[in-house]
Amino acid sequence: MSTRRRTRVPKWLFLAAATLLLSAAAALSLYAAVGCDLNDPDRDVKRLFPESTGYKTLYVSISKKGGDELLRRIEARLGDRFTGLFETSDVPYTMYEIYKGTDLIGYIHGVNQKGTYGGLQVFLALDLKGTIRGIYFQKLTSRAARAFRDAAFGAQFIGLSLSDFYSYDVVSGKEDPIGPVSRIKNPDPASERDFRAALRATKKNLVLVDEFVLSNAHLKFFKG
Amino acid sequence: MKKISIFEVAYKNLLRKKTRSVLTVLGIAMAAWVLVSLFGFNRGYEASLNKDIDNLGFQMLIVAKGCPYEAATLMLKGGTGLKYMNESIAATVAAEPEVDGVTPMLMQVVFDPNKGESGGLAAFLGVDPMTFPKMKSVLPFKAGGWFREAEAAEAVFGYEVAELEQREVGDLYLIPEKEVEVKVVGVLERTGTQDDGTIFLPIKTVQKVFGIQELTSIGIKVKKEADMKAFEDKMYKLPDVQVVSLSQVKTTILTLVSTARIMVFSIALIAILIALMGVVNTVLMSVMERRQEIGILKSMGAMAGDIFKLVWLETIILCVGGGLIGTGLALLTARLTDVLVRRLLPYSPSGGLVAIDVGLVLTALGVVTAIGLVSGVYPSWKAARMRPLDTIRSEVES
Repeated sequence: MSTRRRTRVPKWLFLAAATLLLSAAAALSLYAAVGCDLNDPDRDVKRLFPESTGYKTLYVSISKKGGDELLRRIEARLGDRFTGLFETSDVPYTMYEIYKGTDLIGYIHGVNQKGTYGGLQVFLALDLKGTIRGIYFQKLTSRAARAFRDAAFGAQFIGLSLSDFYSYDVVSGKEDPIGPVSRIKNPDPASERDFRAALRATKKNLVLVDEFVLSNAHLKFFKG
Repeated sequence: MKKISIFEVAYKNLLRKKTRSVLTVLGIAMAAWVLVSLFGFNRGYEASLNKDIDNLGFQMLIVAKGCPYEAATLMLKGGTGLKYMNESIAATVAAEPEVDGVTPMLMQVVFDPNKGESGGLAAFLGVDPMTFPKMKSVLPFKAGGWFREAEAAEAVFGYEVAELEQREVGDLYLIPEKEVEVKVVGVLERTGTQDDGTIFLPIKTVQKVFGIQELTSIGIKVKKEADMKAFEDKMYKLPDVQVVSLSQVKTTILTLVSTARIMVFSIALIAILIALMGVVNTVLMSVMERRQEIGILKSMGAMAGDIFKLVWLETIILCVGGGLIGTGLALLTARLTDVLVRRLLPYSPSGGLVAIDVGLVLTALGVVTAIGLVSGVYPSWKAARMRPLDTIRSEVES
């Protein structure tokens, strides 16, 4: 009977290989894709949630959360395809969890959206049910930029949630049946494309928050 | 009966004290790793810096006296403090025999109230479509190309600004404050320089939009055969301008980096010396432990040369083994080293900072083998000159 000696790999070799792999992974992660962050989180969180005492930052991406299947579901709920640099599945989304003491009181989340003359960065301040309590255009290049960033325009979004946006078609810019989104007035009819971009960004933002942190609380209202 | 080679004997001798041999090999591997990475950095940094300077397209920059010529400085100063020089200076410089070409530039910075909560700045660089693209021929385009007309309402976006503004070729862009529309005709690849954050417009367009008929800087390409120093001196004589020679910039950066480099090379030298001592110690210990064995070998007819060869070979195996592992590690972790060095240095050029090629690997292996040869001489000589009777007797007595 022949016996074969088992070759044992020394432990130190395993350790060395693991260290090398971890270092390589750390180096690669430094070159990840760019997301949409608040420029000054301390100041912006306090402004959007004056009662807050702190916040936590979470990083989520479609690729890590659910991959292609999730991307298709998000596109279906948005009613449009994800295209361009800021709508790939590996874009890291920054989710700010807002706290008052130890209690979670809401979320702030921003998305990038292509506008007529430049990129838009649209942040929503949401309560725990995903209802908008504030909107903030961190960056906006438009002829009507001042009007879009005006408090009166932003006030029209307060109280709306994803359920209100489902009947709004981001491609045609129409709402069927007419609902609360149609009541949002474009402050400058000449900047219709930027107005629609703002609404698309808002709907996209709400869909992502619902998928990422609200456990799809609004999915039951989706009739897609 | 199978004949066993001297190499096999040496190898098996090393395996008798596995932990000691492995630790010695690891010590040499670490030294080789540091050596290859450092020499790789030495080559890579200088090559990347040269490439960055060549990519600038011009070897000299003339700016109005007191004018910050870098976008970053302009941003820090809140877009203020720009100083201008007369357009005629470009023609004066171009007439010099040493000059191969000049390109006039006009930088403008505007305040964009719709960037962030309290606004931000946007920088525009007006360039001459006839001369600038020729000088910056190495600037790679991700899409599109340069504007073709002197007064076109067109723009070329640097990589990062195109990403931020989500602009692609064919899109429109609105110059903040001025409310002027321009069409994006080109988007550059990432260069790692300030070009990434710059929006390029035709110089005449910038002059018209901002109502300024002057220049902020002139890029000069000097003929290869020209005496750079003499030409620099000539340019210093021009009134109210400041001369920025890129060879000076390169020298300054290399001087800054060389201080850090000397320190790191000293550490590498110490690492090599420690490894060398480690090898001498290991092999000497092994020789002392095998005194009786060496004595028996000699009494059986082994010559002093054979013993010398055997011990020397053991040392070389340790060093070559360590050298191979070390260079392998250096190759595997080159990217990581690049990232770490980039974080530590005050300025890093855009290309790869660690350049390891076959030549460097072979050189490092050669150095490590030479260390092995040198460090093995004393223990081998000590073993070779042992007298058989003394060694056997000493073992019996002890």
